[in-house]
Amino acid sequence: MKKFEWMIFSLLLLLLIIGIISIYTASSSKIGDDFLFTNYYIKQFIWIIISMFILFLLLKAPSAIIEISIFPIYIFTILSLILVLFLPEIKGSHRWISLGPVNFQPSELAKLFTIMAISKFISKQFLNDGQILLRSFIITLIPITLILLEPDLGTALTFFVILFSILLVSDLPKFYLILIISPMLSIITSISIWIFIAYILLLVYILYRSNLDKVIIGFVVTINTFIFFITPIFWNSLKDYQQNRILTFINPMRDPFGAGYQIIQSKIAIGSGGIFGKGFLLGTQKNMNFLPEHHTDFIFSVIGEEFGFFGCTFILLIYFLFLYKIAKSIRKIKWKEYRYVSVGILACITFQIFINIGMNLGIVPTTGIPLPFISYGGSNLLVNVAAIGFILKYLNERSIFA
Amino acid sequence: MYRKFTISDYIRYVIVLIFFILIIFVFKLQIIEGEKYKNIAEKNIVRIQTIYPTRGEIYDCKYRPIVLNKPSYNLYITPGEIVNKEKVSKFVSTNFNKDIDEIKKIIHDNRYRSYQDILLIQNIPFEKMVITSEQLNYYPSLLLKAEKVREYYFSNHFTGYTGHITKDEYNKLSRKGYSINSNIGKAGLEKYYEDILHGKNGQQVLQIDASGKNLEFFKHNLQTAPQNGADLILTIDNDLQEYISSIFPKNRKGSIVVMDIKTGGILAYVSKPDFDPNIFTGGISAKQWDNIITDPDKPLLDRIIHGTYPPGSVYKPILASLGLEEKVIDSNTKLTKCEGGMWFGNRYFKCWLKEGHGRLSVVDAIKYSCDVFFYDLSTRFSLEQINRYTKQNYLSTRTGIDLPGERKGFFPSRKWYIDNYGKYVGILGHKVNLSIGQGEVLVTPLQICAYYSALGNDGIWRRPHLLAKRIEAEHTYKDFVEQKHLPISEATLKLIQNSLYKTVNESYGTGTAASINGIDVYGKTGSAENHMGEITHAWFSGYAKCDKFEIGFTVFIENGGHGGSVSAPIARKFINYYYGIME
Repeated sequence: MKKFEWMIFSLLLLLLIIGIISIYTASSSKIGDDFLFTNYYIKQFIWIIISMFILFLLLKAPSAIIEISIFPIYIFTILSLILVLFLPEIKGSHRWISLGPVNFQPSELAKLFTIMAISKFISKQFLNDGQILLRSFIITLIPITLILLEPDLGTALTFFVILFSILLVSDLPKFYLILIISPMLSIITSISIWIFIAYILLLVYILYRSNLDKVIIGFVVTINTFIFFITPIFWNSLKDYQQNRILTFINPMRDPFGAGYQIIQSKIAIGSGGIFGKGFLLGTQKNMNFLPEHHTDFIFSVIGEEFGFFGCTFILLIYFLFLYKIAKSIRKIKWKEYRYVSVGILACITFQIFINIGMNLGIVPTTGIPLPFISYGGSNLLVNVAAIGFILKYLNERSIFA
Repeated sequence: MYRKFTISDYIRYVIVLIFFILIIFVFKLQIIEGEKYKNIAEKNIVRIQTIYPTRGEIYDCKYRPIVLNKPSYNLYITPGEIVNKEKVSKFVSTNFNKDIDEIKKIIHDNRYRSYQDILLIQNIPFEKMVITSEQLNYYPSLLLKAEKVREYYFSNHFTGYTGHITKDEYNKLSRKGYSINSNIGKAGLEKYYEDILHGKNGQQVLQIDASGKNLEFFKHNLQTAPQNGADLILTIDNDLQEYISSIFPKNRKGSIVVMDIKTGGILAYVSKPDFDPNIFTGGISAKQWDNIITDPDKPLLDRIIHGTYPPGSVYKPILASLGLEEKVIDSNTKLTKCEGGMWFGNRYFKCWLKEGHGRLSVVDAIKYSCDVFFYDLSTRFSLEQINRYTKQNYLSTRTGIDLPGERKGFFPSRKWYIDNYGKYVGILGHKVNLSIGQGEVLVTPLQICAYYSALGNDGIWRRPHLLAKRIEAEHTYKDFVEQKHLPISEATLKLIQNSLYKTVNESYGTGTAASINGIDVYGKTGSAENHMGEITHAWFSGYAKCDKFEIGFTVFIENGGHGGSVSAPIARKFINYYYGIME
């Protein structure tokens, strides 16, 4: 009998239950002595049932069917990413497709199927390095471009993390990863010539120590220097509002009425929770509704306020065990493509958790990324549970090849 | 073929690192800085406050007020500070005469705006404010603010009114900086120029602690100033407006509109019965609203652009100019002899003068308003020709005045008759009827006014407008320059103008009641039969010129009787008056 990873599944269920409880308290509001609730927690419960059903289906579905449907679904998500750009704005960006009572976010599905598509196309045998790079880049850059147009910087960044993590575990020599990362660092360091020079020197040192060919080192340095010169030109060609959007992304405090205000309120909520928290339903900051929509992106601030340091530590611990357990089991997957998929999913979910909690704590930029398995939201929950479903499935199937 | 998979170790290190970082920062916020944040949280120190702009005011052409802002006292509620919902709802309900369920609904709808002030009662009378202000101390959630409210200087149909933003409007406009407490133009100019009048909200972040010390979460941009709305300067002349309003026959319905024929600027815009827009500023109750909309006289109906009526004989000059333009007739052509009517097939169409007018040329046909001449003339054109020409004279098409909801009017086509009366409909009979502005044709008084003004302005049709200068982008004013030429040659125009002059100034013309010594008054009467009553609508439209002004006007009295005897004398009065004040 194949072995089912009950540990991972139980931790997933625990996270979903924590989610329901958090959404219940986050969607309450206090008028006098009465609590008023919005029915988000009921909706979330329905979504959990649906996603469990999908997880079950995935486990039962023959791998061959999944294999042949990867590419068509990838194409479908790309088309829906194009479609969403032509739909009316919701809350200032083109992220959602409105399907009656639910808003569907195509970029969520795109994340999962980009992971699947990259893994499928670079795990074929007898590919040379150039082919692997070209394929993985094309598959990721299309959705990234479309998502940047929405605009949704945070989600676009997730795709870079996915690409990087999969290439990291692929057969590609590691210095290519330096090739990918170094231009991004060049963009960041281009704010000052001295930082940039220091950075280039460090880069050359690392490359030199990696015993790389001088031609390659020369190539990397040329590319990065070129980027150093092109970045200010590109920056100045951006419109004011585009520059502002990027600057606010990096430094939310630039926008005291929007992102900056939210971060301050989130920090006040979490900080005022102290060691033991203010108690279930009793968060004063939450009940004053200083933060809009705190059942989605800022749900961690509600948890922090009501359950304090112990609550936060508990949730971080559950997340940690969950991810660590997955990371540990991945090595057991012998099928290359499945391993890539699992690593991509793991990186993607870890990144989302880090970005979301980091945003709540005010240490990373504000993005529209929800907290996986806990935040309210249909399409996000569905896709994340399905993603874990794939990992469970692949872990389940390992015995065939063992 | 497998290589040892050691990368998963690195992934685990990364995960450990990430969670280590998060725990460190949670520890810092909650354990190290916990007390500080508890302090800030308890005092609700950091919050955003909206600064509202002042709405633009409205003035007449001589900068006399039409709509101003005056101080008013408004009652707000802060949902987060409610101690007892029942008690506070009851207090407001009994003291300010508002339905208790309505108040509870407002509180419920805004339960997530806990720290924002939500508008409950607008425009509280000063005495009431004084009496209740002491009791307010027992209800910390209630807040009385001195703000501004619209004050309308006279009853009218063009200013419109503002009202409290509805949920739907708020959802659409919240991104433009409207708040849940905003007032928004609901009708008339207030609605049409909402963007210009409203201005932009400002915001400020409060981050001062109890002792007045700045918490310094934000270093800069703590305040964006509100942008006040721009004032509107209208072409309306308050004196003329009020005079016409005062001479309008008592207990009659109808409208009078006067415009400057050179620019298209509206000088007076009177529709009766009218309403006082001030009734809407206090937030109108459901009962008051019912009273207004069930009033059989429809005081909310703007009878200049929202009402459409058969034009009757004021339509005749259009058919006459079509005949002249198409060279079917010339200035001397005499058509069928009028013997009090005319047979078409088996139907007899009467002329309004039973004795008959005899054989007339076109000028006299307009002067005496002979029906038979136009019956006969209409038979020489297809219905489509007449329809097209009517539209080319900007009837049955919107004039484009700067007011919302203007009606188009109607002129039937061949297809319309076939669709509505079947394939074998006799078009001829309908066409003959249409020739004197009867039957299915419907126009707004404003369309008629714009047409007659164009006749007086050498055939150049100007778009009617109330705003003196067009406002483009940010506070830049431009003239209204749009102009179109009526499809009419100079010779035809002279002939039509001549006949309008004779109608008023020669004996036995139908409009002689409007003639004034020293002023050239041109006009055409109309008495339109209609389904609204036995008595005809009384029309009189035309233009008046002297050395001081050139104005176009339309007087329309619903079921008023004959244009020549009812409407023309009113026109005479206000032209005379306008001549007087233009000294």
